[in-house]
Amino acid sequence: MTMPARPSVVPAWRPRRVAWGTLTTALILVALAVTDVLLQPALLDLVQIGLLLQTALPLVFVAAAQTLVVLVRGIDLSVGGIFVVANAITAQWVGGAAGSHQLLLLVAIASGLAMGAFNGALVAGLRFEPFIATLGTWTIFSGIALMILPTDGGTPPPILTSIILGEVFGIPSAIVIVAAIFGVWRAIRGTRFGGRIMAVGADEERARLNGTPVRRVKLAVYALAGLVAGLGGIYSAGATVSGTPTAGDAYILVSVAAVVIGGTSLLGGRGGVGLSIMAALSLALISDIVSAVNFDVWVSVAASSGLLLVVVVVRALIERGSERSRA
Amino acid sequence: MSARLSAVLREHHATLSAYALCAVLFVVGVLHSSGFGSQSSIRQMLVFASFVGFAALGQTLVILAGGLDLSVPWLMAFGGVQLSHWASDGIPGGLAIVLVVAAGALIGAVNGLGVAKLRISPIVMTLAVGGLVQAYLLAVGLLKSEGNQVPQAAVDLASNRIGPVPVVALVWLVVAVATGFLLARTVVGRNIRAVGASDVVAHLSGVNVGRTRFITYVISGGASAFAGVVLSGYVGTTYLDIGAPYLFTSIAAVIVGGASILGGRGSYWGTVAGALTLTVLSAMLPLFHLSDAGLKVVYGVVILVGVWLSTSGGSALAALRARGDGAPQRSQEVRSHAG
Repeated sequence: MTMPARPSVVPAWRPRRVAWGTLTTALILVALAVTDVLLQPALLDLVQIGLLLQTALPLVFVAAAQTLVVLVRGIDLSVGGIFVVANAITAQWVGGAAGSHQLLLLVAIASGLAMGAFNGALVAGLRFEPFIATLGTWTIFSGIALMILPTDGGTPPPILTSIILGEVFGIPSAIVIVAAIFGVWRAIRGTRFGGRIMAVGADEERARLNGTPVRRVKLAVYALAGLVAGLGGIYSAGATVSGTPTAGDAYILVSVAAVVIGGTSLLGGRGGVGLSIMAALSLALISDIVSAVNFDVWVSVAASSGLLLVVVVVRALIERGSERSRA
Repeated sequence: MSARLSAVLREHHATLSAYALCAVLFVVGVLHSSGFGSQSSIRQMLVFASFVGFAALGQTLVILAGGLDLSVPWLMAFGGVQLSHWASDGIPGGLAIVLVVAAGALIGAVNGLGVAKLRISPIVMTLAVGGLVQAYLLAVGLLKSEGNQVPQAAVDLASNRIGPVPVVALVWLVVAVATGFLLARTVVGRNIRAVGASDVVAHLSGVNVGRTRFITYVISGGASAFAGVVLSGYVGTTYLDIGAPYLFTSIAAVIVGGASILGGRGSYWGTVAGALTLTVLSAMLPLFHLSDAGLKVVYGVVILVGVWLSTSGGSALAALRARGDGAPQRSQEVRSHAG
């Protein structure tokens, strides 16, 4: 059987490929989850799962944001910067103000959207390389966050914390939020906009010829990614009851790792937010397992990087094999 | 205007504008406070710039060949920590430095293997290897909580001077001349550029693409480890996060120096200008009562404006030339579509 070089050539063929990737990613997640449960049987409890997801959620948000940008064949180094600006605004301005928390929270949310749109304008409007544009805005946003909140601290609004640490119909909020991100992505994926994201990522020129407004789609994707990364910062401020204006940098490269482990192609057009969420949860499970068995922190670092390396090496070898069999 | 001069100007437009930017910033600094141009201030800036220069050396070659090295900060940490470990084991300082640089090159070779042989994306490969190096440093108990002592040889290298000139700046000059020669006059240098411009075309014209890429990562590993050695020598102690700021600055120096992140276009002399510019900028911050936060914003703006000027400024110049001699300069246009 001869296979088309680009999945976009035969759309009917694409779902099977994605399902394969989903299966492996899900398998890794399940294996790690089972290991963790075997080590700590107490984990089989909604509250415990909620606590675990709570620590994983900042990365889940950032990884979801990163995925959106990678799907249109970009990369966003500024997700860490957007994260901390929204985080700092939440801790410093929203909490500091008396009264209208909800309104100011909207400002924090809008800040993420605005920063993402700025990235989008650089990439789609001025045709900057995504890497360079977001390298520049990463440091700009990080600086702005430090101006708003120079050191760790501040007071995020209590209502935010009570929502984040609370429950919805007896289910911990963290679980609901992860499910909601999944759900929103599935919904977006099903819309015309979702199809356009994949089309632009798979082959920009073809998408343009098919009448897709490529630049508008890119602008929207970067803005949406900014919104999501900002939500991560807001969540983190609420969950830890403090602002941390330097916390973002740690998430930048890890979010790329999560995207790759999940199976979204850095070349765009293939993969999805759901995959990256599973990978982000896998990374959280790794560090949970390592601390459960009282190993040193290096084991966690080595295992995460090792997982990334194994996943890409295996994929590279499979790809080589299939290239050879095709030839 | 002589045709030769204008040809030079066009070819080195990006590099020259990086030096011009650096000079303008320096003059602004001197006008603002005369101490900025004093011998000791210039010496200090040269030393700091050399750290960026060493960290960005491999990064320049890797980016020129169309790659990227995210493991630079961890290799710098490795350079300092491993050096202090080996030196405390009784290996003479000078020899330990050589060994550490060789070990760094070896780690770079792992990056190179993944990218060149397995065709793993450079971002992913160097990210994973960086993580493993970090794990190694955390694992083997080399890190001391109060910071690791560095051998005298590294301290001397970073702080001695010959007459008024710091030794490390001289070393940087020699390295820059050698790298400039490598890129401009040797087959390896030509291949690096060719691979970065288009690996398909390079392959078709007989360049060993894999080996060329591999070499750039090996050099990057060694150079980053050396950057870690001199930085630790300057600080007098070393720790895990010592290289952290250099992920950003090593890439930023290359970009401010006028290289294309897509590969093929750029030079180490451009990176030298980039390293000097970033250092002068950060030295100016106390003069203008800028905080660290302000510097970060300024850095970002400089990168964005610099890149925007060097690309659209370059095409404006090309358009001007095209009007002059009737030969349209298409390369810019073709590049942007190919990307």
